[in-house]
Amino acid sequence: MKLVIENVSKTYRGKVEALRNFSLELGPGVLGLLGPNGAGKSTLMRILATITQPSAGRVLWNGTDIKQNPDALRTVLGYLPQDFGIYPNLSATEFLEYLAAVKGLDAATARNRISELLELVNLVDAARRPLGGFSGGMRQRVGIAQALLNDPKLLIVDEPTAGLDPEERVRFRNLLSELSGERIVILSTHIVSDVEAVATDIALVAQGQLVVHGAPEDLLARVNGKVWEVVVPSSELVALRQRFLVSNTAHRNDGVHARVVSDSAPGPGARTLEPSLEDAYLAALATHRSSGGAAAAGAAR
Amino acid sequence: MKSLRVIYGIARADFLERVRRNSYLVTLLFTVYLGYAAGTGRISLRLGDYRGMYTSAWIGIMISLVTTTFVSLVGFYIVKNAVDRDRQTGVGQILSATPLTKASYFLGKFLSNFAVLSSVVLLLAVGAVAMQFLAAEDRAFHPGALLLPFFLLTLPAMAVTAAMALLFETFRFLRGGFGNVVWFFTWTFGLALSAITKLPQLDPFGIWTAYKSMAPAARATIPGYVDGFSLTVADKSAKIATNFHWNGVDWTAEAVLLRLAWVAMAVALTLIGAYFFDRFDPAELPAQSGAKRSAKGFTVAPEAASALATTSVPPRTAVPIQLSPLIGGAQHSGALRILIAEIKLALKGYRWWWYAVAGGLVIAQFASPLEASRGPLLAAAWIWPILIWSTLGTRESRFGTQQLLFSCARILSRQFPAAWMAGVVVALLTGIGAGVRLALAGQRIGLIAWAAGVLFIPSLALALGVWSGTSKFFEGFYVALWYVGPLNRVAGLDFTGSAPTPQAARYALIYLSLAAILLIAAFFRRARQLRGT
Repeated sequence: MKLVIENVSKTYRGKVEALRNFSLELGPGVLGLLGPNGAGKSTLMRILATITQPSAGRVLWNGTDIKQNPDALRTVLGYLPQDFGIYPNLSATEFLEYLAAVKGLDAATARNRISELLELVNLVDAARRPLGGFSGGMRQRVGIAQALLNDPKLLIVDEPTAGLDPEERVRFRNLLSELSGERIVILSTHIVSDVEAVATDIALVAQGQLVVHGAPEDLLARVNGKVWEVVVPSSELVALRQRFLVSNTAHRNDGVHARVVSDSAPGPGARTLEPSLEDAYLAALATHRSSGGAAAAGAAR
Repeated sequence: MKSLRVIYGIARADFLERVRRNSYLVTLLFTVYLGYAAGTGRISLRLGDYRGMYTSAWIGIMISLVTTTFVSLVGFYIVKNAVDRDRQTGVGQILSATPLTKASYFLGKFLSNFAVLSSVVLLLAVGAVAMQFLAAEDRAFHPGALLLPFFLLTLPAMAVTAAMALLFETFRFLRGGFGNVVWFFTWTFGLALSAITKLPQLDPFGIWTAYKSMAPAARATIPGYVDGFSLTVADKSAKIATNFHWNGVDWTAEAVLLRLAWVAMAVALTLIGAYFFDRFDPAELPAQSGAKRSAKGFTVAPEAASALATTSVPPRTAVPIQLSPLIGGAQHSGALRILIAEIKLALKGYRWWWYAVAGGLVIAQFASPLEASRGPLLAAAWIWPILIWSTLGTRESRFGTQQLLFSCARILSRQFPAAWMAGVVVALLTGIGAGVRLALAGQRIGLIAWAAGVLFIPSLALALGVWSGTSKFFEGFYVALWYVGPLNRVAGLDFTGSAPTPQAARYALIYLSLAAILLIAAFFRRARQLRGT
């Protein structure tokens, strides 16, 4: 099972370049796709989900070009878009039954699957209520359920935990981890902790380019020994921010405890800290920006 | 002063948003076609069997009446989305949290509606000037006689149309497809109002004003002319009344005031709409259970529903994550399953009385004489499900499910034909009485015409829906076609073949061919949508 993205570019009308020469090769596991707003993550998701086509390059699913033969991927695809609608007059069960029919599931299989999925996303008690009365989080859970209807080999989820409460977020993270064994899961999100919890691989995207691709530990290794805590008076915080990449701050009695990513100690008394994925993410982004965004993607492995 | 700035700001933003959309190009194309149809005599003004020479006065009144009549009908559908757009995009939620008053908001939207319609009028007025020089029947150009009807007849009618569109958006039951159908009949009533009452005060379209001015001159100069004043479509047989001399409507102060009163009426209608406007407040929904509310097609904003919906679901944490794998072959269900799913989706949300009326019409088709069964009863049966057909091809964009559907396999070969077939099944079932009666009576051509209707309606709905992305085009167009065709039996436009005319077979074949063409057009558009951009 292999998904290959080869030099994919996407230019929208108005010459807006959303993706530039993007290449990536994926096998089973969870890929956490991280990047700032407008980085091109959703465009990449839509291309992989066959919703839109690349302006250049190609995407191969087990060797088949999905532009030439999109159904080769669609039959094994589960897709949860960032924004999606529902039919307000249908209940959750009816909506899933409809999509199961569209996806070609036979009636008996669909019935069992929907029952399991409703249990899984904790919607059994609301299954017969019209979707029009659902909250944002409940709709999102219906979206998650529909993405899993056909037991997908490639599961693409775009901001899946948006609108979910903390309890449901944990459930969904666990679900993704469980599912990743024999399939490819692509998780696009802004929430670094979601990626930290489940991703076996991380791809950092910025300005339509792949900045870094590697295992979380490889990314963390890049900032090992470069994350510091330094205590400064509140009045010096602005100056500190101007000189260094500050990933977090906390006000205490003795001043501001700043978490700084830097090659060298940011000041007297600074002590090194265990790096987090957020530190690695911010450092990689900062490096990319300082190099004008044109630096070639550096594979961490 | 501040309020005026706010109103202007709303009107400007809304107008710019509209004219920058691709759909505005469709509006302009419609305008060009209307001008072309009037300029080439496909739509013309008649005094009995005659038309006047193409003088400034004649062209001015003719094109302004054509504009008033057709743009007030179609223009309503074009502009009836000013509030809905803010509701759908969520901008309304932002606006409702500002000090903006309902009156300012509605007056801004009214001005935007009016500006869009006025841009169409402006184009046609320019076309009217060009027409006089191109036709060259009379070279004396009188700008007042040519252009005043646009200002005093057409623009007030556009103001009323702009306000009515807002009023329809105000009331929940008129917002959707039902309102689109109601507008057609409101418009028809508005056209006939002055002729019925013979009161110049009840003449929103200015037709009575024009008639009262032209008829005496016609009686004096056209031999044999007694009465008759009409806009005709697709009939170029009019004789030219060369002796007819008419210098245009005599715009007395009273006549001008009567027309301006319609502008005041439009503003009043706008303010009435503003008074009843819910200001995007979801709490304004009727106090019903979720199930009942949904059955009426109402939706609850997530924010409002969340409190109710989430609290009733008990939290659970220890549910084990377990999904059975799908065994091979589970994903190859038959076409019937998806057809049933599409039919269920199409019919979902209709109340018992909808089915009762549809069933009653079927029984009436069986029980009545054949002529009534295939005529008015079939016509009634095939207008009743209009809101089901109008969702064909538009449901995905209306409810935002494109991404979910279009990422599924074999959409073109399975879901697309199933959706169309669901429409065919609805036409078949609602018109089954007439079909069976025709078959039993051995009326082969009648049966073919009926079958052509069964296939034509969903094909038209699907094609217009897929190409426009909105149900409004079908709702407006189909009602107009149904009114002149099956109901008034205008030859060539009766797609149900309601009467056994000598040309019935020819028309049946034409509608069968049209059904095929429309279906192919819808197929290619959907294929393009699936390929992405």
